[in-house]
Amino acid sequence: MSTHTAVTLSGVTKTFRTDGGTLTAVDGVDLTVNAGEIVAFLGPNGAGKTTTIDMILGLTAPVAGSISVLGTTPRKAVQAGRVSALLQTGGLLHDLTVKETVTSIASLYRLGTDRVHDVMERTGLTRLASRKVSKCSGGEQQRLKFALALLPDPDVLILDEPTAGMDVSARREFWSTMQSEAQDGRTVIFATHYLQEAEDFSERTILMNNGVIIADGPTAQIRSIAAGRTVSVVLPPDFDATTLDALPGVTAVHRNGDRVVLTTTESDNNALHLLTHGARDMEITAPSLESAFVQLTSKESQ
Amino acid sequence: MNTTFFRIDLMRQLRDYGNLIFVLIMPTTMYIIFGATQSFGDDPAGNANVSFYIMASMAAYGGALSAASIAGTAAIEQMQGWGRQLGLTPASGRRIVATKVAVALTITALAITFVFVTGALTGARADSPSVWVFTFLLILGGSSIFALLGYAIAVTFKSDSATGIASGAIVLLSFLGNVFTPLSGTMLTIAKFTPLYGYVSLARWPQLEGVVLNEGSDELWLILANITVWIALFAALAVLGTRRGRQRR
Repeated sequence: MSTHTAVTLSGVTKTFRTDGGTLTAVDGVDLTVNAGEIVAFLGPNGAGKTTTIDMILGLTAPVAGSISVLGTTPRKAVQAGRVSALLQTGGLLHDLTVKETVTSIASLYRLGTDRVHDVMERTGLTRLASRKVSKCSGGEQQRLKFALALLPDPDVLILDEPTAGMDVSARREFWSTMQSEAQDGRTVIFATHYLQEAEDFSERTILMNNGVIIADGPTAQIRSIAAGRTVSVVLPPDFDATTLDALPGVTAVHRNGDRVVLTTTESDNNALHLLTHGARDMEITAPSLESAFVQLTSKESQ
Repeated sequence: MNTTFFRIDLMRQLRDYGNLIFVLIMPTTMYIIFGATQSFGDDPAGNANVSFYIMASMAAYGGALSAASIAGTAAIEQMQGWGRQLGLTPASGRRIVATKVAVALTITALAITFVFVTGALTGARADSPSVWVFTFLLILGGSSIFALLGYAIAVTFKSDSATGIASGAIVLLSFLGNVFTPLSGTMLTIAKFTPLYGYVSLARWPQLEGVVLNEGSDELWLILANITVWIALFAALAVLGTRRGRQRR
């Protein structure tokens, strides 16, 4: 696998004019993605993910900073078919059939019918060829958009919430197709709401909030940011819950109905203590990317 | 221009039966009712007969309707994200617009041809073939004014209902613009300031050379001034709507 860079952003800023003034959607982002990397882009709505992706694709221009894609400008990389994307919701004509959609976009790349058939086969669209886009499920529409993104055989593939509107089995099927497409050294950057997808499919995770990158590193490392474990128990009625804060290693206490959830660095000791005082239905879990995410984004907004 | 892209988009428009009925069938039907079946149809009028006059009027109405509705749907498509999808391909915006214009012209030409063929078969007569040809070309070219209107309405209202609004506007403006029933007196004076008036008067030029059916006649410069002012106004509306749409994003 080569080590040259696929995407570089330096000091990239994007602002929008709104009725109330100026909104800074992306605020001085520096980012380098190497060729062959699979990167997850996480963040709540309005974090600036889609705006960042739009700039990498040359759909909008930054007001400050520079972007380089495969050593050239975003627009040139797009025109050469070296970078393509599955964009968020919309973007299909409802009264075209699946095959017409793939064929018309392929014609803009000057690709022939062979490529159309090949891509439709690989994304499982062949049996849907003559179906109208409006009759396709959300998952099928996303798969169609994925096929459009694969048409130019890009070096860099960008997926903006690719599994939005898919059920669990459709999501699993989508990612297995995606993984086989990513195998031949293709760079993949995907934005997602599903933290599980970042945990399962990316080696590197970038967390974004309020237009800035708040964490960037190997997915396992990002996950460990949420230190300690959570201990969740149901306490007996006579238990004095106010003593929980004073337990060794406990950093947070949350109540969920009759269940209490402790975040702690000394889960074994706390568990022993609670069980001897009549606690039951205990669950101990390691931190998930989700808890790291919540911790980082809430820290940011304080 | 891209022939595959052109063919698929054209087929798509031709499958839209609801719109086709409005654009192809309505003007033809109206011609048959108000033109072909009337007893005065064969009376002479300028360089052709009355049937020809009504045929040209209905074809002008159909042309305006077709141009406005196709430009309107094109604008809606762009807003619904198809424009972003196309923005990810090597095709330039200019090439895509050129293809779209070609599709719109093809369908508009089809709409006009429909009325003209029906006219030719049911008693519309002109003194020379050139009257037919110039009338056809003036209607086709002039219809692009209403592509601007359709586009402006679409970028302002930003929904599928924009096409309906545009069609309604064309019908209303056709009545006001002396396209359907020949107007006279105050109504005719008002008509001269409306957008369909300039367009339909230009379309009737090969036949009537400015003569207005009920009273008086128009100078060519007056007709061209009407068209120029309305093109400027519709273009300004389109630019304004596009700008507002961008800001809101």
